Amino acid sequence: MSRAGRIARRGFLIGSAAVLGGVAFGAWRYGRPLPDPFMGDLPQGQSALNPYVLIDGEGVTLIAPRADKGQGSRWMQAALIAEELDVDPATARIEAGPVSAAYYNTSVLGESLPFRPTDRGWLAEAARGAVDVPSRLLGFQITGGSSSAPDSFEKLRLAGAVARETLKQAAALREGLDRKDLSTADGAVILPDGRAIPYTQLATEAAQIDPIDQVVLRDKSQWRWLGRKMRRGDIVAKSTGTQVYGADLRLPDMLYASVRAVPQGGRITSLDSADAEQMRGVRRVLQIGEAVAVIAETSWHAMQALQAVDLQWAAPDTAGNQDQIWDSLTQALDQGDVDSRLRNDGDVEAALADGQPVTAEYRVPFLAHAPLEPMNATVRVDADRCEIWTGTQVPDFVVSHVADLTGLPQDAITLHNQMMGGSFGRRLELDFIMQAVRIAAEMPGQPIQMIWSRAEDFTHDQPRPAQIARGRGLADKTGIRALDLAVASPSVTASWFGRVWMAPPGPDNTITAGAWDQPFAIPDYRVTGHRAAETVPVSSWRSVGASANGFFHGSFMDELFDAAGIDPLQGLIDACDDRVSRLVLEELRELSGWTGRDLRPGRGRGVAFCLSFGVPCAEVVEVTETPQGIRLDRAFAVADIGTVLDPVNAEAQLSGGMLFGLGHAMNCELTYRDHMPQQTNYHAYQAMRLYQAPQVQVRLLENGPVRGLGEPGVPPAAPALANAIHAATGMRVRELPMTRQLRFA
Amino acid sequence: MQVTVNGQTHDIDADPQMPLLWALREVLNLTGTKYGCGIAQCGACTVHVDGMAVRSCQLRLGDLNGEVTTIEGLGQPQALHAVQAAWIDHQVAQCGYCQSGQVMSAAALLMLNASPTDQDIDRAMSGNLCRCATYPRIRAAVHDAARRLAGS
Amino acid sequence: MRWAALLLALAAPAGAEVMPSVVAPPEPGSVSITDGLAAWARVYEVVSHPRCANCHTGSDHRPMWSGPEYDNAGPHGMNIIAGESRMGIETLPCATCHVTASTLDSAPHAAPNAMIDWRLAPVEMEWFGLTSAQVCAQMSDPERNGDRDWIELARHLQEDAAHGGFVAWGFQPGGDRQPAPHGLQSHIDDVLKWGAAGQPCPE
Repeated sequence: MSRAGRIARRGFLIGSAAVLGGVAFGAWRYGRPLPDPFMGDLPQGQSALNPYVLIDGEGVTLIAPRADKGQGSRWMQAALIAEELDVDPATARIEAGPVSAAYYNTSVLGESLPFRPTDRGWLAEAARGAVDVPSRLLGFQITGGSSSAPDSFEKLRLAGAVARETLKQAAALREGLDRKDLSTADGAVILPDGRAIPYTQLATEAAQIDPIDQVVLRDKSQWRWLGRKMRRGDIVAKSTGTQVYGADLRLPDMLYASVRAVPQGGRITSLDSADAEQMRGVRRVLQIGEAVAVIAETSWHAMQALQAVDLQWAAPDTAGNQDQIWDSLTQALDQGDVDSRLRNDGDVEAALADGQPVTAEYRVPFLAHAPLEPMNATVRVDADRCEIWTGTQVPDFVVSHVADLTGLPQDAITLHNQMMGGSFGRRLELDFIMQAVRIAAEMPGQPIQMIWSRAEDFTHDQPRPAQIARGRGLADKTGIRALDLAVASPSVTASWFGRVWMAPPGPDNTITAGAWDQPFAIPDYRVTGHRAAETVPVSSWRSVGASANGFFHGSFMDELFDAAGIDPLQGLIDACDDRVSRLVLEELRELSGWTGRDLRPGRGRGVAFCLSFGVPCAEVVEVTETPQGIRLDRAFAVADIGTVLDPVNAEAQLSGGMLFGLGHAMNCELTYRDHMPQQTNYHAYQAMRLYQAPQVQVRLLENGPVRGLGEPGVPPAAPALANAIHAATGMRVRELPMTRQLRFA
Repeated sequence: MQVTVNGQTHDIDADPQMPLLWALREVLNLTGTKYGCGIAQCGACTVHVDGMAVRSCQLRLGDLNGEVTTIEGLGQPQALHAVQAAWIDHQVAQCGYCQSGQVMSAAALLMLNASPTDQDIDRAMSGNLCRCATYPRIRAAVHDAARRLAGS
Repeated sequence: MRWAALLLALAAPAGAEVMPSVVAPPEPGSVSITDGLAAWARVYEVVSHPRCANCHTGSDHRPMWSGPEYDNAGPHGMNIIAGESRMGIETLPCATCHVTASTLDSAPHAAPNAMIDWRLAPVEMEWFGLTSAQVCAQMSDPERNGDRDWIELARHLQEDAAHGGFVAWGFQPGGDRQPAPHGLQSHIDDVLKWGAAGQPCPE
């Protein structure tokens, strides 16, 4: 039977359970059991809870429930458990864990609250605590919002510590000793006489006793793995081609499939597949919803046959051309309907009426996620069960939607979450998985791997929305006096929730995330969100609202500093009203050797800051104007994530986030014509490539709360580059991608 | 038809129009070589044919003339190629999906040019797209691999 | 190095002609200067077309991406530099992506392929961005045209096209790409008219 411990930390309980041949340690919450992921697979009479640690005769298994899209979260989660458990994470087996509402994510919804992330007052903290409630109700097992680190930081270490102390207790009982005289090391309990009893030999005994719940987490000064240079457990496999991603899964007698869908919201009016059906290797041509699917011997045969299908469709009744979409955004700004105004300090209108405001309008385009592994899912549907292998950030939603689609009960659906070849938010969507289930349902018992062509991936993404912002402001020698920013965007939150569950009522705070919540004291300061009509479906793209608002806010602050003749980095430091953020800016000044924005003729540097997902991040970019175009020479980034759990990986995330932001700002856009993006592959979406990548230096600070770093490196990159180009050339880039106006070397 | 991959000759029944990539991944189940774009824009499918880097999504089976080496044949977790060892020491991979192609391109470059400059690396490796932007570590790892190969 | 000779040496072995044509030179002097200049103007329309000029670039060894398939003309993406070898062998061979194939066809937006090893034309045969007069002068100059008279220029086109080389590819580029204008036979006939008129060049 499960034995729930009595420690309640932030509303969860660590307990233990007997499992076949061993013991599991994990978390209960509020004493209210949620569906138990291991119950189904365990022999009768045995029970388990949502485990983080499984120990049996074979060894130690660490369970990392947050999906890994490449950001290394699986490894980080394992290291958190291993640190307290005294197991070398390199020797442990690491598994993703089954789908369970028990692995709920308390951090991801915190971003949507109307409290500035730097606001650590009682009201804000209380509200963050209350977010627990909706996320519990929803039972989210979501990977997103850079939430894995804060969500896991305490929970997983507690699980490791409870497991360690309980194993010690089991050893103490066996040997007739006192637990406090025992210690642990390298997966074993060490007795006072020096003998070591491996955990694997204590597992069944540990399962019989009440878990030891009075544990004290170790101070970071005692850490052996966390905070030190670790090697991620997946890197050898990823360097040798032996890492199995979803698309690499091979089941006996598996067939392949691919699809061609009409534009989202469109409707098939006619479909002629006679030629495709005659093609070599083709098994079936099907219509599944508003798409045609080919099942074939290989995905190449399937993709070839899809091109031979004559597919006619009727357009959705939304705007499907880029000009109309820009018009809808302009209209949202002009009409003045306010969706949110979370920042409204002083009296902006009065202040601006008093002077000659600086004004600017900015535009950012639709952006595709385009992770390198195309969307895919492998599915086998039988009469009474359905098995799915895919990489997803939302396993709970997959199971519930597949249950609805197939009519099977949720416990008849098994989801094996796969290592993902990137996501950037793309795998928050269910579209491709549902297609794969529909296809497999047509051939019961037959495993089928459905994989999209890259063209399908580009033309059926739910992109980061195009957005427009207008700034008005005043600055003098003392700094920015007034800043008014209005942002128009369709609601990513409503669009996505509308697809996976139901659109929530009320304003969408992500429309101004990364702008309204910035730690600056400006006497008259206002940020307004205007919700534009949804034209094409949109979704979360790495750093979400801040991906655009970082550019708007960071660019406009630079324009105001420039107008007042203020050094932009000094201006940011002087305006900053948050200690942790100010330290980031000061560290960046030192790291980048900042001496001002002008370097010498034809060279310049820019700086920008954005606080997103609770992480203050500031970046400097240096550029040179060359005959071949603008060259990025060096880039610097500093961020504060409270505690650096894995320095090697954290540096990679910050560097990668910054370069990801730079590459898209330079080179990328989706433009719609007839409801489809005109960009169908990477030839028209070059992003960042090696030759355009500047030299990078990053530094991480540890002054704030524990935060994740998957996204915060992105938002400051575009404005830092735009500001650098202005410093070098005098040209103000207010529209992305920058290649609309200039060329890069 | 016969194809020789990683020293092993296979008799496969496949359409000569099928690109090598699909024969590797879906006929021979050698999945280390990745599909990313299908049009020679991402480099994830890079293999060697008689030692030269080739985007296997472009090479029809009927046009294959030479012995193929894939990432699995370059080195194994227990017997790493110098490039793979450097990739691990520099912890290059994030999502890792492009890295088979990156490693194969780097290995091919080092066969052409034993001590490439940053400029050489930028020229040889910019056809390999990394959406996670692991580029600074790729540069460092190529230099490191060159030193390892020179020392061996 | 005699690049042109190497180019032909590497061509696919003789077999069925991929794109057959006839070289029927008119008598020298039988074509008027006016008609010769008109023929040259059509020749220039071919050689300045992106299908041809994109790979006839200068001493920076950079192929170009230009033409109706591109929003903006610019250097080949991915930092491609073919090097002094003009085949990329210093860093990344052209043939890594532009594989040598048994067909001229390729998918839209894919790396196009020909039936010989992909490469840039010799640097002295630079055409990209040059005027009609400049290209005409180059093509008339044995030092810069592979040491060919006008009949040999026409035979070079015929031979390359027969082997599925770049001349054939330019007129039949596949993948929904816009071909070079006029077609192979007209192009050969125009080169011969221009030659028979005494290779006149515009001002």
